[in-house]
Amino acid sequence: MLTIRRIPTIVSNYQESLESKIGCGKNCLGSCCIPGARLPLYLFGNQELDEHGEIQSKELGQNSFLDSAILGQWADKQAEGLFRYDVTACDTKVLPGKYGFIAQLNEGRHLKKRPTEFRVDQVLQPFDHKKFNFTKVGQEEMLFCFEQSNNDKSYYHSKAYIRGSPNVVVINVSPIEYGHILLVPRVLDCIPQHLETDTFLLAIYMAAEASSPFFRLGYNSLGAFATINHLHFQAYYLGNCFPVEKAPTKLILHHYKGFKVYQLENYPVKGIVYEVGESNFEELAFYIIKVCKGLQGRNIPYNILIANKGCQIFLFPQCYAEKQARGEVDLEILETQVNPAVWEISGHIVLKRKEDFERATEEYAWRLLAEVSVSEKVFDEIIKLVFSSAEDKFDAKLYHKSLISTDITYYTVGENVIMV
Amino acid sequence: MALQNGSLLSSDRKCVRSPRMKNHKLIVSQSLIRSYRASIQDELQKHAYNFVLCDPGLPDHPIVYASDGFLEMTGYSRDEVLGRNCRFLQGRDTDKRAIVEIREAIREERDCQIKILNYTKAGKPFWNLFHLAPVFSQQDGRVVHFVGVQLPISSKLAARKDGHLTGLELSFDELEFEEHFDNPSCKNYHLSEEDKQRAFAAVKAVLQELANSSCKGVSSMRSKSFSEGVIPPGFVATSLLLALTRIPHSFVLTDPHLPDMPIVHASLEFLELTGYTREEVIGRNCRFLQGPDTDLAPIEELRSSISEGQTCTVRILNYRKNKEPFWNSLHISPVRNSSGKVVSLFLTHSLKCSPFQVAYYAGIQVAVSHSSEEDEGRARMQQLGTLGAIKVAVRSIQTGAVLRKSKTIS
Repeated sequence: MLTIRRIPTIVSNYQESLESKIGCGKNCLGSCCIPGARLPLYLFGNQELDEHGEIQSKELGQNSFLDSAILGQWADKQAEGLFRYDVTACDTKVLPGKYGFIAQLNEGRHLKKRPTEFRVDQVLQPFDHKKFNFTKVGQEEMLFCFEQSNNDKSYYHSKAYIRGSPNVVVINVSPIEYGHILLVPRVLDCIPQHLETDTFLLAIYMAAEASSPFFRLGYNSLGAFATINHLHFQAYYLGNCFPVEKAPTKLILHHYKGFKVYQLENYPVKGIVYEVGESNFEELAFYIIKVCKGLQGRNIPYNILIANKGCQIFLFPQCYAEKQARGEVDLEILETQVNPAVWEISGHIVLKRKEDFERATEEYAWRLLAEVSVSEKVFDEIIKLVFSSAEDKFDAKLYHKSLISTDITYYTVGENVIMV
Repeated sequence: MALQNGSLLSSDRKCVRSPRMKNHKLIVSQSLIRSYRASIQDELQKHAYNFVLCDPGLPDHPIVYASDGFLEMTGYSRDEVLGRNCRFLQGRDTDKRAIVEIREAIREERDCQIKILNYTKAGKPFWNLFHLAPVFSQQDGRVVHFVGVQLPISSKLAARKDGHLTGLELSFDELEFEEHFDNPSCKNYHLSEEDKQRAFAAVKAVLQELANSSCKGVSSMRSKSFSEGVIPPGFVATSLLLALTRIPHSFVLTDPHLPDMPIVHASLEFLELTGYTREEVIGRNCRFLQGPDTDLAPIEELRSSISEGQTCTVRILNYRKNKEPFWNSLHISPVRNSSGKVVSLFLTHSLKCSPFQVAYYAGIQVAVSHSSEEDEGRARMQQLGTLGAIKVAVRSIQTGAVLRKSKTIS
């Protein structure tokens, strides 16, 4: 069993407390408190992709209501003292060079306590109710529930009665940017950190609803620096281009369904890029998940970046944690204590020490990320997996619209409904 | 999400305008009048090039001028393209990376020359040698417009060894529409020096025309002092401007580092709410919105919050340009940029001295009716959402302008 000593990232103020929450009366996100609670609810409408793979948004070229819903509550949460530090005080810069890696000096993000032992050789691990999970988070850290509406319009209810297991959006109390949130699908179902098509689709729908190329979602599998074994995606806004989005690509597959698959070229981490093309989100998610299941089955950790309003999805298999456990990583790189998860791989690197931030160069970023990349041999296997899973037949009947929220029902409370 | 059958639709492409550009004809003509003489349209008409002018200070970076050649090439009418973003030229097989490169060049305020697959109104693809160049104001260093020149390429051109063509007046009919865009001689067609020079020449000619016709001074290069690091007051980088124009609400950004804290940016909705034009508000302090019946109490509250670098919300009676009063739920807040700990001159003498760089003070307006509390709640949500979006916009690291010397066409 491979382990590493790691200082975990705190994403919730409840992460450090080990009290149990049975009949807690603490307004948490568990089955004791959610059913019957009145919570903010965001209903996202169905968005059609036109024949050019672009979202036919009524909010053309402008910020969406989702931006207001997320960012609007941010200042309030800040005033309530829920964040461990003020991310707007963190110095950020673009490293000179061709790709423009983004470095941030963030001394507050990693807890300065005794490090825990973390098992890194198992991508699939069963859910452990004793460990921290998102049902233990307080409702004050929640922004809203995120469900699909039954037409093409989006709605926002500030006080809707919730029944069933909602998808929740919570703040990340150790943000790396303004608006850094966590999306937890079906929080009460206590799904461990692995992907299925329906939960993955939810993340893509959120990217589409945000309608901004600068709002991105990310996923880290276990072994690829996921902190918590309870299914969640991260998301935040950054008004700059990620280096990986500028990297050249080579087309390797133009699927008959219309989506395209590329291989990253001239980038330190080997990766695969999916573009929705003339396909749709459901088909795209189906085929990507096939590959992810293959990776999970082969115990290969991976990270996923959802960018460009959901139309571009990057898949990065990685092996840094394993290398670290085997003592194969360069000492200088290790000393910067950067855990290369999806944001780092995409080019947004959070540094803990001032001297690392001041000395940071594109060359350092390249060296760090080169250690993350799987070997040529493993990557070739993965490419083969991409091709073989592309041959599977997509079953449209499996993806009925109500798949996302089959047993969530809610009642509106009349006022406070804002149709957007 | 409804499932599509994935078949290629052959109908005419939809050309959608931002919903905020309701008075697009007026807005578009104002964009030209603001910087050039009234005769500019006639002057530009004389050139047979295919090109457009776009204004990054308007919502969705729309086209404000399109040459006849451009319209002929793409098959649209002038009315169909004015006020719309150029993305209608892109389609299914347009390389996403080419789009990213153009977007980055815009954000970094520099030239870009790139081969990109575009589509006519009828949906026919064609390879386009696209050249983008910024037009800088001599006054405040901002990018006033972007010029985009298009030179369609075909395999016919690729095949011609002698390369003899009559400049950019090449009629589009000469290009073979039936060619499949996959035609290898197109894809692998390496742009010859001649092509590149032709595009350069077109851009140069257009820029020259704009410079000659400008009333306040524009050029293809920034002023010498700017390149040496002397940034004029009230300068707003294009990347910030593009992010700010995405915010569909009324707000202003004021600069607390300049005397009397003037407005440096006002959203389209602010101008529509107050009835002023951009020129009438940029550079002035917001107090011009106050009038005879405005109470002193909210004014004092604003003043004291600003001197302490605090946020506050007040309900204040303001006046439109036509003297009509309206109740304004005004929320103000300091906004930081991405850099870290620089002591701001503005706040040094304040007791609650913040060590962090305050880049701007944002003011967000929501017109409310006198009474209702429900209005207050709704206003609040809108204000905070807008403020959050402003913070994200200002926080993004401004590339171009200050950090990079703009490339110029010599």
